[in-house]
Amino acid sequence: MSQTLGLKMEVRKDIGSKPASRLRCDGKLPAIVYGHRKEPITVTMNRHDFTEALHHGHRLFDAELDGRKETVLVKALQYDYLGKDIIHVDLIRVDLSETIRVTVPIKQVGTSKGSHEGGMIDEILDHLEIECRVSEIPEVILISVKEVGVGDSVHARDVQLPAGAKLITDSESLVLHCHTVAAAKTTEELEAEAPAAPEVIGEVKEEEPAEPSE
Amino acid sequence: MALMPKRVKYRKQQRGKMHGRASRTNYVAFGEYGLQALQSHWITGRQIEAGRVAATHFLRREGKVYIRIFPDHSYSAKPLETRMGKGKAEVAGWVARVKPGTVMFEIGGVSEEVAKTALLRVAHKMPIRCRFVTRRHSL
Repeated sequence: MSQTLGLKMEVRKDIGSKPASRLRCDGKLPAIVYGHRKEPITVTMNRHDFTEALHHGHRLFDAELDGRKETVLVKALQYDYLGKDIIHVDLIRVDLSETIRVTVPIKQVGTSKGSHEGGMIDEILDHLEIECRVSEIPEVILISVKEVGVGDSVHARDVQLPAGAKLITDSESLVLHCHTVAAAKTTEELEAEAPAAPEVIGEVKEEEPAEPSE
Repeated sequence: MALMPKRVKYRKQQRGKMHGRASRTNYVAFGEYGLQALQSHWITGRQIEAGRVAATHFLRREGKVYIRIFPDHSYSAKPLETRMGKGKAEVAGWVARVKPGTVMFEIGGVSEEVAKTALLRVAHKMPIRCRFVTRRHSL
């Protein structure tokens, strides 16, 4: 991730949803470049090239804009309603020597001790926010779960960060937890617990007529 | 009885219409893998329960199944051979209203192959086309 990748970009003049959807039909991807107190520029790039680069773990790009080279970092991605295809990209101008805050995904390594004892690992947090130099942004933060037994937890403070990185996420945040799996309830058990019909709020129940006192 | 709310403000509801796409519950939030709806439909409490049983039976005591939808909408149906009129019929069941993009079930703590097979079994219990999705990690 520390290496930059050259990516061809073209400045686009037409903005709005319709020109953007026309671009997507042509296999292009609308994007915006901003940051460093310069004017934001709306650009397009080849969708295939960008997604391929992203799948290979690249986040830093060398963009050629109006003959000038700018280093940009992927700040945000917008997906379609199914979360399948990227529809827009936010790129932020960066300097390789500057320090920035980024979110980096967490990846578990190994099989936990607890899983051999009938437990399972519940991943509470799937990313950490760290502060580091642009040239040293890690692709993933690896957490070894080999020593995690049933009932053990890993907090953000326990995570080994790459050299030069500073943790921004609250150090007390729970990252993962190993616990036993409770047996799933059967349909009969659930039916026994559930009421026959929901209670209606504010409904006056019909009381049985009182027997004559005579 | 299948899944239904414990308390409601009104027992009977209007049927309503389902326009558009899911704007929430549209990503894998709890587990690692999920089953996403590709069509809009009513999913009954029985269908949700059938999906849960199919997944838990396959997984045995491995992993965890999360159900992201709940049947909170009642529908009424008139009995057979009844003349029209005489007011709204009694509640016949409870449904969850699902729009395209809704992640209905999630599974965590198992490998991708196991989750795929389990969610395929759940998909067979659903009245709509579904898709297997994985959690999208943030940048």
